Amino acid sequence: MDSVTDGPPENRRRFAPRTGQTVLTPVEPALAPSEQVETLYRLSDPALSELGLNEFLDALLVRVRETLKVDTVAILLYDAATDELVARAAKGIEEEVEAGVRLPLGQGFAGRIAAERVAIFIPDVDHADILNPILRQKGIQSLLGIPLIVEGEMIGVLHVGSLRRREFGPRDLAVLQVAAARAAPGIERARLLSALEREHRVAMILQRSLLPKRLANVVGVETAARYLPASDEVGGDWYDVFELARGRLGVAIGDVVGHGVGAAALMGQLRTALHAYAMHDLGPAKTLELVDRYVQSMPDYAMATASYAVIEPDTGEVKIASAGHLPAIVVGRDGGRVVEIAPSAPLGAFSYGRVQEHELVVEPGETLVLYTDGLIERPGTPLTDSIEELVRVVHGPRSVEDLVLRAVEEMVPPGGLRDDMAIVAIQNREIDEELRLRLRADPKVLAEIRHLLRRWLRHQGANDSQTLEITLAVSEACTNAIEHAYSPAPAEFSLTATAGDGLLTFIVSDAGRWRAPRGHDRGRGLTIIRAAMDDVEVSASETGTEIVMQRRIAP
Amino acid sequence: MNLADVRFSDHDRVVVARVTGEVDLSNAESIESAITEATPNQALALILDVSALDYLDSAGIHLIYKLRERLRTRGQTLRLVIPAASPANDALRLAGVSQVVDTAQSLEAAMREFAEPDATRAQVPGQGSV
Repeated sequence: MDSVTDGPPENRRRFAPRTGQTVLTPVEPALAPSEQVETLYRLSDPALSELGLNEFLDALLVRVRETLKVDTVAILLYDAATDELVARAAKGIEEEVEAGVRLPLGQGFAGRIAAERVAIFIPDVDHADILNPILRQKGIQSLLGIPLIVEGEMIGVLHVGSLRRREFGPRDLAVLQVAAARAAPGIERARLLSALEREHRVAMILQRSLLPKRLANVVGVETAARYLPASDEVGGDWYDVFELARGRLGVAIGDVVGHGVGAAALMGQLRTALHAYAMHDLGPAKTLELVDRYVQSMPDYAMATASYAVIEPDTGEVKIASAGHLPAIVVGRDGGRVVEIAPSAPLGAFSYGRVQEHELVVEPGETLVLYTDGLIERPGTPLTDSIEELVRVVHGPRSVEDLVLRAVEEMVPPGGLRDDMAIVAIQNREIDEELRLRLRADPKVLAEIRHLLRRWLRHQGANDSQTLEITLAVSEACTNAIEHAYSPAPAEFSLTATAGDGLLTFIVSDAGRWRAPRGHDRGRGLTIIRAAMDDVEVSASETGTEIVMQRRIAP
Repeated sequence: MNLADVRFSDHDRVVVARVTGEVDLSNAESIESAITEATPNQALALILDVSALDYLDSAGIHLIYKLRERLRTRGQTLRLVIPAASPANDALRLAGVSQVVDTAQSLEAAMREFAEPDATRAQVPGQGSV
């Protein structure tokens, strides 16, 4: 066993054999040429590379066992965290893996192989220093083991065993070395990959859990959003869509500087902070200023860009502010425009930062689109060109879901994103010329009805006081219909609104019977209806009640 | 998101309830009980500030009546803050009841009505103001 070696220097070191152990020096493969080819093929079959780590190790161990005609073969991997060897794969001594055997470095058969990076041959287990009881229980007589080394790093131990006493020779060692050389890089790669994958997966789960599960829904607008991670890493992009008082919608988007789990976690904090401050209803600029103060108060350096908009669906009016974020766009049937606002400094950039607020109107049929730079960043292309391209790609008559889908399809390069990206789109719905609604007899629908009516009345040209009075009267008529609904099944009622020559006609009908007003309070609804409308007719029959109301808004 | 929000503040023995948002059949009852709960027996008066309310209809007017009756049985006064130009006032006007309840044009005006007795009571030991 004294052949000259050409292995790495650490393999050339020799150690004084301990009781019952023989330290072997790696050897030139002492195989007959044809045997060598056969062995190399069995152990280096490219098909093995296609397998996952478990299948790969399984297949490799089977081949080692067949080639060396041994009874057992096992791989233990080095766990740097505990400085132990952990049984990872085995044939003939599967118990070792099942029992999760862990062996300290430096002691026993495998422990010494790993610590001293030497091959060790034990001719007679009964007289050797063996820590792992399974080897003895199995009745193994002779053992041969070698370290697994990748780029100078010891990553584990490969050993074979025989149930009858056997002299492992240079040929056996050579085969084992081929197998080790084959196994080690694959294991290392798989191990690195799984560590990376684990981190990536954790980050992805974190990122997903920090984004809203579903978008708030308010009358008059349609919303859609997407988040896509970069091809190799998560980042700190976020969006948020939430309902504010009076049926308004808050829409936020942001981008934390940096990547990885840290950026995703910070993103979660900023999203929460913005959402919480937004509940105070101080408007976009003040809200972003508060988030900025929050970022300034963080112990660690943090910076982010963000844009926050408050949308009034009744009128299409939008208040928007930007802290260093890319400009929003508004797109419609025939084109679109970039919302050119002077962006204020990013969140966390300067002490006492001030944020400017801007106003715009998103007309029915138009869509406000907020996005992060991941969507439009192209090497060598100015951002302004990319933004123009985004406008070109998504404009036209399309649903908001379709718009977002198209933006992702057209703007995301085939190889995946270099940076993560978020997009959120809010469409001011087209307003129908007539309203024909079937509604649940549930008081909760009243607020929705008023929002629909305000939008429709504005569209018909009603002024503010007309809108207020008509909305009040129709809401009262609907309240009546809801209160009359007393069937056990989920009841419905209908509302229609039509317009012609400045005359608006509303019909509310239900299948319930008109109830005589109870007490002096209950007739108040009808009083309001009669006062707010020019003409009111209530017809009650066995089949239901119908209120027809008319109001002239223009001569 | 709640259709309406109610915020309370205590000014010695006067409770101010400021209702914002919209009041209709869906929330009138829960708003009424929230206000009743927040008004302790020892309070002299409740100021119901609806000047920033966006919508009020017969369900809300019914609430005001019920609240007034409940307070009256406790010997407490209800004062409404309703500016002339406000959605709440339009509803009262259309319902023909704008003269029925005692109103003030502003919260300051309503507070002044109760200011005098409050000031004297604040001097009595054990009845310190907030």
